[in-house]
Amino acid sequence: MCKIFGLAGLCLFLCAGGAGNAAPLTVDEIVAKANTVAYYEGSDGRAQVAMTITDSQGRSRKRVFTILRLDMVDGGAQKYYVYFREPADVRDMSYMVWKNVDKDDDRWMYLPALDLVRRIAASDKRSSFVGSHFLYEDISGRALSLDKHELLREDDAVYVVRNTPIESMAVEFSYFDVSIRKDNFLPVKGEYYDKQGKLSRVVEAVEFKDIQGHPTVVKSKATDLAAGGATVTEFTNVEYDLGMDETVFTERYLRRPPEKWLK
Amino acid sequence: MFRKLIRFSVHHPRLIMAVTVLSVAVSVAQFPRLKVDTDPENMLPEKEFVRVFHHEVKKEFGLYDFIVLGIVNENNPQGVFNVQTLNTIYAITEQVKNIPGVISRELIAPSIKDNIRQGELGSVIFERLMPGPITTAEEALRIRAEAQDNPMFNGTLVSEDGKALCLYLPIEQKNMSYRISQEVFAIVKQFFGEEKYHITGLPVAEDTFGVEMFKQMAVSAPLAGLIIFLLMWWFFRSLTLIMSPMLVAIATVLITMGLLIGFGFPVHIMSSMIPIFLMPIAVLDCVHILSSFFEQYRRLGKRDPAVFAVMDELFTAMLYTSLTSAVGFFSLSFSDIPPVQAFGVFVAIGVMVAWLLTMTFIPAYIALLNEEKLRKIHAPAGEGGEASDLLGRALAGLRRFILARSRLIVVLSVVVVIVSGYGISRITVNDNPVRWFTAGHRIRIADEVLNHHFGGTYTAYLILEAHDKSAEIFKEPEMLRYIERLQRYLAEQGDVGKSTSLVDVVKKVYMELLGGQPENYRIPDTKAAVSQCLISYENSHKPDDLWHMTTPDAAKLNLWIQLKSGDNRDMDRVVRQVESFLGSQAAPFALEHHWAGLTYINLVWQNKMVVGMLVNFFGSFIIVFFMMAFLFRSAALGLISMIPLTITIVFIYSLLGFFGKDYDMPVAVLSALTLGLSIDYAIHFIQRSRELYAVNRSWEQTSTQMFQGPARAIIKNALIIAIGFLPLLAAPLVPYRTVGFFMFTIMFVSSFSTMFILPAITNLAQKTVLAQPESKMFCQCGNCFIVSAAVAVTVIYILRGYSLAGWGPSLSISVAIVAVMGGVCSRVSASAACRLEKKEGKNV
Repeated sequence: MCKIFGLAGLCLFLCAGGAGNAAPLTVDEIVAKANTVAYYEGSDGRAQVAMTITDSQGRSRKRVFTILRLDMVDGGAQKYYVYFREPADVRDMSYMVWKNVDKDDDRWMYLPALDLVRRIAASDKRSSFVGSHFLYEDISGRALSLDKHELLREDDAVYVVRNTPIESMAVEFSYFDVSIRKDNFLPVKGEYYDKQGKLSRVVEAVEFKDIQGHPTVVKSKATDLAAGGATVTEFTNVEYDLGMDETVFTERYLRRPPEKWLK
Repeated sequence: MFRKLIRFSVHHPRLIMAVTVLSVAVSVAQFPRLKVDTDPENMLPEKEFVRVFHHEVKKEFGLYDFIVLGIVNENNPQGVFNVQTLNTIYAITEQVKNIPGVISRELIAPSIKDNIRQGELGSVIFERLMPGPITTAEEALRIRAEAQDNPMFNGTLVSEDGKALCLYLPIEQKNMSYRISQEVFAIVKQFFGEEKYHITGLPVAEDTFGVEMFKQMAVSAPLAGLIIFLLMWWFFRSLTLIMSPMLVAIATVLITMGLLIGFGFPVHIMSSMIPIFLMPIAVLDCVHILSSFFEQYRRLGKRDPAVFAVMDELFTAMLYTSLTSAVGFFSLSFSDIPPVQAFGVFVAIGVMVAWLLTMTFIPAYIALLNEEKLRKIHAPAGEGGEASDLLGRALAGLRRFILARSRLIVVLSVVVVIVSGYGISRITVNDNPVRWFTAGHRIRIADEVLNHHFGGTYTAYLILEAHDKSAEIFKEPEMLRYIERLQRYLAEQGDVGKSTSLVDVVKKVYMELLGGQPENYRIPDTKAAVSQCLISYENSHKPDDLWHMTTPDAAKLNLWIQLKSGDNRDMDRVVRQVESFLGSQAAPFALEHHWAGLTYINLVWQNKMVVGMLVNFFGSFIIVFFMMAFLFRSAALGLISMIPLTITIVFIYSLLGFFGKDYDMPVAVLSALTLGLSIDYAIHFIQRSRELYAVNRSWEQTSTQMFQGPARAIIKNALIIAIGFLPLLAAPLVPYRTVGFFMFTIMFVSSFSTMFILPAITNLAQKTVLAQPESKMFCQCGNCFIVSAAVAVTVIYILRGYSLAGWGPSLSISVAIVAVMGGVCSRVSASAACRLEKKEGKNV
């Protein structure tokens, strides 16, 4: 099963370009393609991430961390490792996610000051990622099967696909529209509408460039229009296909950061 | 000049009518521009520190004013924690989200708030307390257990006894509260069940009061007007004549309100009372005129000369009664409270409008009546034989008693003052907007029920601020433990129902992270551990909840305090408890503290109001004395004229002390009215006595005459106003009852004290009261000195009242005035003119 549109999520930096296609595509083909492009380029990847969380009053906070990704199955299971560098009092904190296809993801965190590794469970994936305006679902993706997809409109540059949740009670939005570039199938903008039909949240790719042959989002932004405030994420030192091995993504390495890959 | 005005009015009645009608029309034309302001926060100037700070805090911590919807289930053994009630609450939450003005993302409800708890496979889980509708009783009980296990929810969202649950609806603006509360009531009405619904919270109470107050206004003032009308009809038996005071009253109210609105002032809780204050004042003078007109018309038999005779007789007294009332109210403009300023100034203007109308409209109105018609108006039976009817005989008897027992009356008066002094010492200063509603009111019931079940629906915020903004002191375990001790201390004192802070979040998250054992419900030992607990919490659905309690730089902390009562007195105690804790236990890091929150704001303006009113009151008291001394050309007589008023005031205020009624906002404002109205009878009594005495030169005769017409006028006046405002005692809003009670007692006590004490004193000091001054006031050194002291105090009062000068300069100026006037006094009294006068005086 595929995952969709982590367009502004942390996976964006790993996105690669697909060739433009002249043949008319069905909406399901478009979303499937975009999903693959957004989440599964290269067999692994690494980036330094700097998040600037700015609230409605203009107060901002910073999170700096390194993220590692390893694909288990192309278009399927993945593993992530997040190692915190800033702010100082959360340095050495780490997160690990095993993204599963047929069941809920497994998540762990390590809190060095408490000398504690804990599994984290979540009733849903729409909770905040470390206080930012990005949600877990923006990172690990939203299953295509959760929504009905319809092609709202298209122009020379983008398809706009409306996604309406099948189980509307489970989420806080009523639908979201995603703009997908025609040239490389990169989802560049997601607009979430609240239950009153008001645009309440925007997630967008602000800047992307080609790295090792993969068009890679190097700056993305999530904006909360209801409460105000936005988070800007910048990716540097992006590298693909480092040849990471699966043992890095185990509980053992939560306490002992895998220095080799984090540099 | 004014006499010319009266003549002019009599000779050009139609013009006067036209001008009056035009003025009223112009004023009424302003009414569509009416702006209503029911926000008690506006009792403080916009720049007031606590207001500015309150708004900064609200913005900085993302706080909103709340409407509290309480759902109570007393029948089910599990309280609200049964499938049906919880699902109803879920459905209500979904609907209230959509009410315009409700900030749905900040709603506090079980289906919105995240809980942190132990999950499966040794995991920790962030989950909404009630993610969706439930189907089993076990789920309901799980929700209860989780909610009560979370210090952020227990006593706030859910009651400790499990019988009640509160939804907190954050609203965009306070003045939407009433409308939103009505929409919430409409929503809950669709649900039939054993649940009871209550809506409370200060914004709703205040906004609802505003709405009901205007409704009450539309009922009370006309009703009082109607009763006054009926009483006058009963006393004067002439519909034609008594129409005139009613028209004067109505015109006064319309013109004054038109001016207020026209000048762009919003109609506030205070100014909505203007009509009810102006009505008695406008009617009072007219009643004196009508009473006197009956006598004079009978005596002279002609219309115009009777009018002139009446005006001659009453002119001075009416001018001074109006001026004193105006001064009493105008002094409110010294207050720091903008709505009180507007109220004071416009009532003062209204008083003078009423006076002007009385001087012009009434003579014009009478001039328009043809003599035929006037002749037909029979004087009431009693008016024919002054001494023969029941009232006449009673008054004559009263006169004999007073003259025989003058000393006793004076002694009794002193006793009354002493006893009243004791009563006044027992007055408690307190206010509570919820108690502006009478006991059975929906808001009062909601207040009682919800504050019985919960930690309290009255909110105040204690803001702690680090001196060193970069030190993140509110992540320091030592600092958090200090706050933990403060919270525990406040809980022990008993006034705070519940307090919530970052400390509770840290402890809860720490415990759950470590596995949920209660012994880990504590503050972790290092700053890094605190930070990591907090960042874990930020993985919830609503990480922003953290910023209601601290700022992202951890330099400020908001301690959310819930009180079970909105009494300012209780808020005041909590403030003092916090001071005492912070004073006696040094904080581990340097910090300062400030208060915010509506409950605290109410305390601030109330303190200002009460203290301010007291200062105003003494100030106007002295100015009125000065005016009396000037009117009677004698300081001693000025003092005597203040005696009935003083007794009236101390007596009325002692009742507050004896009956345990709080000295609150309406009571504070009414002191100005008391002063203005109470002096009236004394002015009429002394002025008329002296006029009579100047003619007949006999106290015996003067007193006999005084206890005929003038005494009747006073009694009629008192009865008309006192009874006219009695229906207010049945009003559903407490401040209206207070006004009714005050009107009644002011009229009753001040007429009573005037009628007893002034004749008694006159009897004992005939020369002081009745004799024309032997010399000009300034020729007597004592008089001169007292007057200069009064001038000096007035100057201090005005300088300080408007904050024109500090205490130092004000006092210096006053001392200078006394010194200069002392010099002038000694020169003047030694002057040839005065010596000559003294000699002449002796010869007389």
